[in-house]
Amino acid sequence: MDINTQRRSQVEIIQLRGPLRLGPAVNEFRQALDESLSNGDTRIVLDLAEVPMIDSSGIGVLMKSLASARQRGGNIKLVNPSKFAVQTLRMVGLLNLFEVFPDADAAVASFA
Amino acid sequence: MSDAISPTPAPGTGHPALRPQLSLAIPADAEQIANATDAVLACLAGLKVEEEKCMAIGLAVQEALANAVVHGCQNDVSKTVQCELSCDDQGRVLIVVADPGPGFDFSASPEPMVQDVYNDHGRGVFLIRQLMDEVSFERGGSIIQMWKY
Repeated sequence: MDINTQRRSQVEIIQLRGPLRLGPAVNEFRQALDESLSNGDTRIVLDLAEVPMIDSSGIGVLMKSLASARQRGGNIKLVNPSKFAVQTLRMVGLLNLFEVFPDADAAVASFA
Repeated sequence: MSDAISPTPAPGTGHPALRPQLSLAIPADAEQIANATDAVLACLAGLKVEEEKCMAIGLAVQEALANAVVHGCQNDVSKTVQCELSCDDQGRVLIVVADPGPGFDFSASPEPMVQDVYNDHGRGVFLIRQLMDEVSFERGGSIIQMWKY
């Protein structure tokens, strides 16, 4: 799992590359989100364009972080999730909890 | 290795001409699961299974292996989880995952929609049931058999 983080207009953009599954990938994902949230960066854009698969442990980290961000007045928004990631989030009834954008610029602008 | 962790044979009735394609035995280590899932995906690609079906089976295998490692084996790396893939002459795929644990109450797996949506666990078995066409448990839940048609 490659994780790149950048900051734009006071929004943290986290770009993931690779399957998000139990093990090192989910551990690194959790660490990246925890780091952002503990720094007070609660406005987060998650770029999922290159994440072909998300398992239930990845979803668990995502939902726990979403709760944490929202409790502090922030949010986590998704960018360009793969077709299968969308199907998976829909299956577990969570897709409608997220705002989904076609690109990072649009997601960042939505926080303004 | 105890014979108690060998998966039971795939059901023969209604599924004739079952051909074994892949047999994996992995230590109960969360870091090994993704590699096993990738081996299953590679096997399916070799069998020319369509991509959407591959992804559904791959995620179901990932979830079944995670349950076996985390719950069945309590992350005890001295224990072994088995995963077998077979297909029949109609292109249907059978996955069997077995662990040496005591099993679990699979009938009690809640539907995620009625849980707290912010829960960080409890979606694995539900996902498997959604992704696969036929799912059954044996030996108290320590063996899961999953068909994708």
